[in-house]
Amino acid sequence: MNENISRLMDGELDPGELDNVCAGLRRPDAMATWTCYHVIGETLRGTPTLAASPAQRFAVRLAAEPTVLAPRPRPVSNAATWAFAAAATVAAITVVGWTAMSVLGDPPTAVAKAGEATAISASRVRPSAVSPDFLLAHQEYSPAAAIQGVGPYLRAVGTQVSDDPAERP
Amino acid sequence: MGVFPVRAGRRRSPIVALAPAALLALIAVTPARAADATQWLTRVAQAARQYNYIGTIVYQRGNRVETSRIIHLNQDGKEFEKLVSLDGPAREVVRGQGEVRFFYPDAKLVRVEPRTFRNVFPSLSPEQQKSLKEYYNFKVVPGERVGGIAADSVVFEPKDGLRYGHRFWSDATTGLLLKARMVNERGDVIEQFAFTDIQVNAKVDKAMVEPSWPVVPSDWTVKETSAGDVAPHATGWVVTRVPPGFTKIMEGYRKLRGRQEPVVHLVFSDGLVAVSVFIEPFPAAAVPLGMQSARGGLNIYSLKLEDSVVTIMGEAPGATIRQIGNSLARR
Repeated sequence: MNENISRLMDGELDPGELDNVCAGLRRPDAMATWTCYHVIGETLRGTPTLAASPAQRFAVRLAAEPTVLAPRPRPVSNAATWAFAAAATVAAITVVGWTAMSVLGDPPTAVAKAGEATAISASRVRPSAVSPDFLLAHQEYSPAAAIQGVGPYLRAVGTQVSDDPAERP
Repeated sequence: MGVFPVRAGRRRSPIVALAPAALLALIAVTPARAADATQWLTRVAQAARQYNYIGTIVYQRGNRVETSRIIHLNQDGKEFEKLVSLDGPAREVVRGQGEVRFFYPDAKLVRVEPRTFRNVFPSLSPEQQKSLKEYYNFKVVPGERVGGIAADSVVFEPKDGLRYGHRFWSDATTGLLLKARMVNERGDVIEQFAFTDIQVNAKVDKAMVEPSWPVVPSDWTVKETSAGDVAPHATGWVVTRVPPGFTKIMEGYRKLRGRQEPVVHLVFSDGLVAVSVFIEPFPAAAVPLGMQSARGGLNIYSLKLEDSVVTIMGEAPGATIRQIGNSLARR
């Protein structure tokens, strides 16, 4: 579902799936994911129109009792699976933040703001960013990158202070 | 298929639309200009290495705009380059012999990359050259102007939704790339850069391309990045539904620092962009999975497969990246 929400936001969802995903957004946890993705996207782009309050609300809801947000009872559904789903959501969100930071290089202030938004229960998961070694290894093969010469550096000049959250102080 | 900027021309009257074609026919007889996509790419890559130039570059991604100063020197076949950010903290990138250094004075950080491929244009396989012809409409439109100089506009218009559109502007005289733009299937600009001014064949001496911090201050952190060595080898991994136009150009094992096991690396290319697949053993720690909504051209998708984590990245739409990831199997 989280991936579908992400694809919906990016306009990459197959039209056939639209109704299904939109219907799924009625679920509180899906709506929370939707809101959180937007908060992060906007914070990273420096256009925080949703401001901090939805993120704070989301934080409060995440911290709340699992039963409050539990989806309709299903045979396999229990608190443990919910907790896993919530952790996965946070992981995905955190990843969006870190990736945008590590790959595309948003200014530290924007990243710090996104950090606030993503810090929600982040201690539950330990995300790892995409390795800069991978990025370097990949660029070697991209003809479009090769002709731009300076292109990859332009991304770096305005970039982050740290590219691996695991190494951050 | 989206509204690629050049398509606007098609709606003009047939006579107006024919004018660029007539010009193009004239250009075709000029040997200095590229007749096909491969030739053009090779020429532009060579020009980026060959000339000395000083210029100001504006880089735009989404709604962010950054301005930088670039100085490039080719001294007896050796390249040196310095890029300094003109907005915000005075970050700089200095490329010399052997390595590239990224200075972040605001964070007191230096990142060091081994000098590898930059500006070295990968020679295209026959399959890649065929893909360029079959999956992109390649057009050269002369008579434009960028940074005050005459430029050829070069269009790679995708014929399907599995690749982004690319438009480049190169100096009509030297072939130097002056402007580059990547657009998605809706015609939105994903990323672009352009010289606002440039002096080609400028007088550049070695001192101008030295870092502002020749010695790293003692309280700064130094971080090293390494792409490691790759050994081409069959890996047993196969992509069963490779997106049309992409062919595998590399398969092997890559040794990366900090990893005991070598990482499997597969590369697919359509002649203009590449998509990399990295496969490593599933680590004990939590890892990011799923599509990561990267803004700015590079999409990244991660998934867990059996006891491995797969990371796919490339300058291609999410659907292309996802298709490669979702059809990966062990032979």
